[in-house]
Amino acid sequence: MSTTRSEAAAVPAAGRRRAAEKPARDLAPIALVDLLDRLLGSGVVVAGDVVVSLAGVDLVEIRLQLVISAVRAEMARDRRGEAG
Amino acid sequence: MGTSGDASRVSTAGAGAPPLGTARYLYAVCRGLPDDALSQVRGIDNSLVELVPYEDLVAVVSTVPMDSFGEDALRRHLEDLAWLESTVRAHDAVIQAVAVQAPTAPLRFATVCFDDDAVRARLEERYVPLTRALDRVQGCGEWSVKVLAPAPATGAAARPAGMTGAEYLRLRKEQSQRRTDADERAAATALAIHEDLATRSRASRRLPAQDPRLSGHSGTMLLNAAYLVPDDDADAFEAAISGLRSDHGDVVVDGRGPWPPYSFAMLDEQ
Repeated sequence: MSTTRSEAAAVPAAGRRRAAEKPARDLAPIALVDLLDRLLGSGVVVAGDVVVSLAGVDLVEIRLQLVISAVRAEMARDRRGEAG
Repeated sequence: MGTSGDASRVSTAGAGAPPLGTARYLYAVCRGLPDDALSQVRGIDNSLVELVPYEDLVAVVSTVPMDSFGEDALRRHLEDLAWLESTVRAHDAVIQAVAVQAPTAPLRFATVCFDDDAVRARLEERYVPLTRALDRVQGCGEWSVKVLAPAPATGAAARPAGMTGAEYLRLRKEQSQRRTDADERAAATALAIHEDLATRSRASRRLPAQDPRLSGHSGTMLLNAAYLVPDDDADAFEAAISGLRSDHGDVVVDGRGPWPPYSFAMLDEQ
């Protein structure tokens, strides 16, 4: 891509691209379990996983610890940036 | 601050810090998203969804309270499946809304920044890998294909009358061996299906098998894979799934899509 006019917010790309960028059909709904697979860092296995529980049953080990660590790092960084 | 002031007009909050005790939650990074793209969608907790531009990219964000998304709060909340479900659904609703309008890199759940300056700093810092990710997913959708082996017939048959103990043990051993052979055949089938579909897609990823208590499936999940398929090839890809389903009657082939490219917009460092 060689878009140089970054200020052209209304028409950032040529019209022909706009058409090509549209999916050919409507997107399909996604089951919660599939969303969790994807939104919680699928495939990444780290130690110290948190277990999500439902009605007292340990359901699935998801990589929540990773999410929490990422938030901690981001916020610490932002606070430093704010101070400096 | 690499951008001039007028570039931030889309973001109502401008460059200032958000209200005390709040943060900016990032849903996605898009390229070429129309300004009116978000008129129909609300974010987490019904929040207003806004755009924070940087060069030709925009971050899709909303304001969230830190008492939900701070480190300690998040740790507690993530163990609450009801909270997790409604929040993940809200995240997905925003992604779906923008992904039909522009190339979209969905961000991981709970990507939170202090303010819009921090959002822009992320875009600036990761501009090249973000652009590469958007190039990769542009004009494509994600398809999910799962392969399941049906649950084996359960329960050991009672020893038939007239059969000796040794005969019965031999029979059980044979049954067990047949099950092992069937498992191996099913695993090979799943691998063959994955390899076939991988050649028909721009990229593919295998995800861990899902926990049946969360997914509700029965039997063994042999394949949980994602495929990045150009929209122009979607019909052919779907037909290929159907073909594989009829070719392999011994397993269940579950194909779904298209979805936003959740599994393929990861940055290179991840």
